[in-house]
Amino acid sequence: MPVEVVRAEQLACSYREGYVLEDVSFTVNAGDYVGIVGPNGSGKSTLVQALLGLVPISSGSARLFGSLCNGFSQWGRVGYLPQSLHLLNPVFPATVAEIVGLGLLSLKRFPRRLTRHDREKVDTTLGDLGIYDIKAKLIGELSGGQQQRALLARALVNDPELLILDEPTAALDPETRERFYRMIGDINRSRGVTVLLVTHDTGVIGQHASKMLYLDKRMLFFGSFDDFCHSPEMSSLFGEHSQHLMCHRH
Amino acid sequence: MNLIEILSYSFIQRALLAGILIAVLCSVLGVFLVLRRLSLIGDGLAHVTFGSTAIALAFKLYSAASLLVSLPVVLLASLGILKLTEKARLSGDAAIGIVSAVGISAGIMLASVGGGYNVDLLSYLFGNILSISPEEVLVAAGLFCVVMVLLGLFFNDLLAITFNEELARVSGVRTKRINAVLVMLTALSVVLAMKLVGIMLISSLLILPAVSALQLARSFKTCIMLAALQGVCSVITGIFVSFLTNLPTSATIVFINLLFFGVSCAVRRLLIPRSAIPSR
Amino acid sequence: MKRSMLFVVMSIMAIAVIVLAGCKRRDQGASAKLQVVTTLFPLYDFARTIAGDQAEVTMLLPPGMEPHGFEPKPNDIIRISQAGLFIYTNRYMEPWAETILKGIDRQRLKVVDAGQGVRYVKASAEEGLEDGHGSHDAEGNAGGMDPHIWLDFANAGVMVNNILAGFVASDPAHAPMYRANATTLLARLADLDQRYREGLSSCGTRIFLHGGHYTFGYLARRYGLEYHSLSGISSESEPSAARMAAMVREIRSSGVRYLFAEELLSPRLTETLANEAGVSVLKLYGAHNLGKDDFERGVGFIDLMERNLKNLQKGLACRSK
Ligand SMILES: [Zn+2]
Repeated sequence: MPVEVVRAEQLACSYREGYVLEDVSFTVNAGDYVGIVGPNGSGKSTLVQALLGLVPISSGSARLFGSLCNGFSQWGRVGYLPQSLHLLNPVFPATVAEIVGLGLLSLKRFPRRLTRHDREKVDTTLGDLGIYDIKAKLIGELSGGQQQRALLARALVNDPELLILDEPTAALDPETRERFYRMIGDINRSRGVTVLLVTHDTGVIGQHASKMLYLDKRMLFFGSFDDFCHSPEMSSLFGEHSQHLMCHRH
Repeated sequence: MNLIEILSYSFIQRALLAGILIAVLCSVLGVFLVLRRLSLIGDGLAHVTFGSTAIALAFKLYSAASLLVSLPVVLLASLGILKLTEKARLSGDAAIGIVSAVGISAGIMLASVGGGYNVDLLSYLFGNILSISPEEVLVAAGLFCVVMVLLGLFFNDLLAITFNEELARVSGVRTKRINAVLVMLTALSVVLAMKLVGIMLISSLLILPAVSALQLARSFKTCIMLAALQGVCSVITGIFVSFLTNLPTSATIVFINLLFFGVSCAVRRLLIPRSAIPSR
Repeated sequence: MKRSMLFVVMSIMAIAVIVLAGCKRRDQGASAKLQVVTTLFPLYDFARTIAGDQAEVTMLLPPGMEPHGFEPKPNDIIRISQAGLFIYTNRYMEPWAETILKGIDRQRLKVVDAGQGVRYVKASAEEGLEDGHGSHDAEGNAGGMDPHIWLDFANAGVMVNNILAGFVASDPAHAPMYRANATTLLARLADLDQRYREGLSSCGTRIFLHGGHYTFGYLARRYGLEYHSLSGISSESEPSAARMAAMVREIRSSGVRYLFAEELLSPRLTETLANEAGVSVLKLYGAHNLGKDDFERGVGFIDLMERNLKNLQKGLACRSK
């Protein structure tokens, strides 16, 4: 019996301009690696933000670990790497270790102080991601790739059961991007962490994800990658050629 | 005039004591406010204090009693600034501008409708670091304790929301509550400290030590400490320099803060290699 | 929702202000009496005494407001331009007056410089503080002359005569009544001067220390007192720590038991000095302006000066005869 980690039922979100997300229903089980793909403006980021309670839901429901998203409090079980890294203040005066340490606040009650044990945990996480050497650097002085890994460390430091990544590789060169995805795949397999990955790069899904969610304001496909490859509907949607290319890499 | 003689005046002792306490709490609050793009909140809330003191005087409540009106009003105004940035998606400076304009115009309207006052409103509104009474030193100490204890208890939450609000929420930080704590501590400090040392000193101590520390800090903790250190040094040197040069004390302290800021910028250029500074 | 509420409230306030302003203007138009606008309280009080019920006298300065930082608002300039007679103290006190008058049609409006013919005294020379020189650069903005001329009662008499001349020129029909009122006022000022001279003739100390701005130079000069103030001519200048300490030393060495404080400004600095030196504080009216309560009660310049005489006699330990 699989354990349900994320469940959306007829989820819809709207801004002033109208619906950006409509009638989305799916279930993610523990250990799944779900790739969320779709064209620009298809509501991918809105979907994960709705799951995290960062944008209001207009109808339907979303649950994490069985409890509704607005009012969700078990943040210790979730890690999140947001898309809007470019919005980070480049002169923010905090070190990588200080920022990564903030990921542990989700496990704490008031007053949230970090202990020596916590600092050791930060060090281990940085070591695991191969960035222990930049621990004392200012977050604003890092390269795009280092910044991305530092924030991944922040998302992982509390040993989350669910990791949500929103276009994490936008700022990276192809080589670093590849390394990054291998790392995420590794985390998924070895630690059994459920992963939701938003990306515009469909090829990545084929290589790493176990499931795929295709979104264009509505959910057009949700299922295993194999099903996607053998679905005639998808052939008509993407054209046989590109479907073949994506599936071939798999 | 030697140091011991200067220190023998009790009003100088009180200026140093209260000045240091207020400098530390303003500088530390300032780091969070500057990073949250709320640097001008000190001036904005001072204008609201002006408006609310006008109301208090209309009810014949003077000096200490006027706090009964201005403190709640200014606390509400600080929350109003927050609401405007959240709900109306206004930038911090625009929200502060709106609230301070309401405060100023309310004060001026009340003054013209009420046909003047028994005393000069502005002179009662702003204190002077040289005229701090022994009771006011206690007020400063109490304020210092309240602000520092709360900043200490919420330190990590404040750092989290200052870095990134979305991430903070996903780490279980009640961002609205923590934002409210930050602006209400600021409001409390502005209202009380303004009566003690005047608004010019408060608003510059909320900005200048923080922006200097941002030039040099190599971590958030050192940033806080550098800001506090500059605040304290500026008050101490400011009082002595004012003594030796016969210049107004508050203005001297502000000027020394500007000097520290210039030095910080220069040191940053010299010490921190170009390559380490992102081009953005 | 909240923003629209705020907007409604602000609009209502704005409308109320416009309506009130409109009402006021109509009142003025309806009256055929001479409209007299004055700047500071002594001028206002002298003018309304001379006017009797034949002219309407108003004061630009709102009650309670500190006068040295005062600048007329557009509404004030309209009031001046609609008046028949405008009276100001002098160009050291109201440096803005000359500039504003240039832009106003002077056909109808008569202007009185109340300080014309007064012998001005330099403020800085009078101060003579051992380390006070240059600390308050009032010389630049006020030409170095002390503007507080009304605090010498002979000067006050000169001012009364200047104001009378303005009334007579603007409204010759009522000249005899204005002259009669002015004569009474001059007599009261002469009597006040006499009482000051007697009341301050034999005092325990002649050192007159003031924790405010340099206000009472003329008064001290007239009655032979040695006057020192904490700050310079403008009440807006802030003293330095050194000046505060010098003042404390001065209080201690002079042996006075009272320090005088301003009436409208916060007495914080004065109280600090008094506590430091272990003396008490007494209030003294510079009479630039009046508090709202006194204003509504119709308190006059001579009333204020009588209060001052009482406090001066107490503060300087004078024996009254
Ligand atoms: Zn004056």
